[in-house]
Order: sequence, then C-alpha cells, then structure tokens
Amino acid sequence: MQADQGSGTTSRATAPTEPADTSAPPQVRMGLLDYVTATSMDEDYAHVAERAQKDPARKPVRPGVAALVAMGLFGLLAVTAAVQTARNASDVAQGRESLVAQVQRRNAQVDTRRDRIEELRTDVDSLQSRFLEATVRGRALSSRLTRLSVRAGTVPVTGPGVKVVVDDAPGATGPQEQVLDEDLQKLVNALWGSGAEAISINGQRLSNLSAIRVAGSAITVNFKSLAPPYTVLAVGNPDTIPGRFVDTTHGQDWLTLQSTYGLQFRMTSEESLRLPAVNQPNLRFATPGTAR
Amino acid sequence: MIAGLGLLVGIVLGLLLRPEVPLWLEPYLPIAVVAALDAVFGALRAFLDGIFDDKVFVVSFVSNVLIAALIVYLGDKLGVGGQLSTGVIVVLGIRIFSNVAAIRRHIFHA
Repeated sequence: MQADQGSGTTSRATAPTEPADTSAPPQVRMGLLDYVTATSMDEDYAHVAERAQKDPARKPVRPGVAALVAMGLFGLLAVTAAVQTARNASDVAQGRESLVAQVQRRNAQVDTRRDRIEELRTDVDSLQSRFLEATVRGRALSSRLTRLSVRAGTVPVTGPGVKVVVDDAPGATGPQEQVLDEDLQKLVNALWGSGAEAISINGQRLSNLSAIRVAGSAITVNFKSLAPPYTVLAVGNPDTIPGRFVDTTHGQDWLTLQSTYGLQFRMTSEESLRLPAVNQPNLRFATPGTAR
Repeated sequence: MIAGLGLLVGIVLGLLLRPEVPLWLEPYLPIAVVAALDAVFGALRAFLDGIFDDKVFVVSFVSNVLIAALIVYLGDKLGVGGQLSTGVIVVLGIRIFSNVAAIRRHIFHA
C-alpha cells in the first residue's frame, strides 16, 4: 500500500508539468487513491447508460428479478457470515472454558497428591521413630538422626538466637547501595562462623543444599524469590554471636557496607526463634559409602 | 423496492436455514460480504443517478465477490493472505465510503 501511495503522490506532483498526456490511462494520471475514489461506482453503469441514450428505443431499466436474486444472495451471505462468526466465537469461548476447567481440575489433583505426600512422610517418620525406639542401638541412632536433621535443616527448630534485618540503603540508586546475593552470602557465612546452628532467610531455612543466588532481579534461596528487607534468623548463643560476628572478616565487610554505602543492618537478640524445616528433595544420586 | 424485498428474503432465508459453511470457505466469507456490500452501494448510487441496470449489477456483484475471494485465496497460498485482505478491505472501504457520500448527496440534496 505504501509503495502505491508513494507512486500516486509522485504522479500527482508531476501532473501539472505534463498535463497534455491524455493517452495514458486515468489510473496512471490520477494516482491510485484519487482513481479509487473517482471510480467508486462501477463504470459499466455509465457505459450502459451512454449506450441507452444513443438508442432511444431503450428505456431506463428498473430493478428486476435479477436484482432481487442478487440482493437476496447478499442478504444470505451477510447473515451466514454473521451466524458463522457468532458460532465461532461461542466455540472459542467453550474451548477456553474447558481449558480453564481442566487446569482447575489438575490443580486440585496436584493439591490432593501433595497432601498425600505430606501424610505419607509423617507416616514414614513415625514408623521410623517407633522402629528405632524399640532397641537401645536404635535409640542412639534416633538421637543422632535428630541431631543431624537439625544440622541439615530437615526438621523445624526453636531456640534462642539473633535476628538480623538488612535492607537496601534508603533511596538506593545503584547496585552498590543494594543488598546483593554476595552480601547475603557473606552475612550468612559470618553467622555460621560466629556459632549459629540454624539459619533462615525470610522464612527459607538454609540446608546443606541451599544456595543464595541471583535469578533475574531477585535473590533466590531454595529456588524461592525473596524481596527486601531480608530477615535473617540465626539460632545460637545470643550473647556471643554479636561479639564473634564483628570479629569475622565478612562481619567486618558488613560494617563497612553499612558505614560506606548506607546499607541498613540491625542485629537484635531474641529469646526464642522458630525456624521452619526446608522442603528437602530426596537424594537421588548420592548414596552412603565408605570414606576410602 | 424490489431490491429491499430481495434483501429481506435473503436475510430471513439465512436466519431460517443457518447454512453450514465448509471450513475451507470460511476465511473468504467476510471479505466476500465486504465486496458484495461495495457492489450493493454502487448499485444504489447508480439507481439514484438513474442509470441502474440489472445486468451490470448482477455482473458486478458476482465478479466482486469472486475476485475478492480469489485474491485472498491467492494471498493465503503465497503466505501474504493477511496483507492482501487488508489491501482489499482498504480499497473496497474507500469505494463504499465515496459511494455512500454520493448517495447522501442525492438523498439530502446537499
């Protein structure tokens, strides 16, 4: 279309300089848009009328049977198209609805299965503990398992500790004034180094398989995106953690971040913290083996 | 008068029969309707101009519908169906508008 319009304007622009060229067909002389507008009625009507004028025997024709049939055809065509469009629209809506229903059904299915998994897991846990409680060796194993589970983060824990709330500097503009994944990593490492026994960030418990990393524009822990401010809970001795924290290298780094870039950092002692368990995936490849 | 009767009969027939359009014909129906609309408005203008002719009307109607559908069909085969449809709609739309303008001038003498 653009090319056509372009050629139309050029021919119109050149028309005044060479108007004598009447041999060229009108669509060449006028430009496409003008031509379409000028010949919007079929030229045949004019031709036929001209011929009729030359032949006085012919009378002007009134609309007859042929016009009736053609108009009927037109009505039929228009109604059919409208009916078809309406039909298609309802088809599309039906397809959508059935898809939505399917999605909802599947979601419900996933939910019930997830509940079932949870149920089975508690069953397994209770059976396991019952089996282990039966013997002396089993009891020893059981207490060891509990201890390791606390370390691994697969059971919820409670206990005293510290709460650290960190956030971007007020009115932060660049990444230097924001809390980055490595800042959180440093913070967590400093807490581990100062005697923390269990740590969670914004409700995400850190396990031996947890990673703190950037995905897109958010920091993710356990594959869940977190939003600032970041609340880090660390179970441990609340009297010694703050003192040992500032002695660690990464603790020092954080104090520098706070004083140089204005990152917000607040550590408070807490009487009782409650940390959730991590939803640990089953190990699929690692199996217990001997060290050598 | 007789044309209006025909239109009415066609609409009623379409509403009563609700013909099933074959799937391969479906994409060409809307463009055929627009082409037919162009022929109808052209005929109305010719009628008001006093130069209406049955034969010319039927020929222009049928050829308009067929050619419009053919262009879109060709475009579909060449992979430019959408663009060609747009082109056809634009040209027919311009024609319809200028025909309607002429009809309006006839009716209101303005």
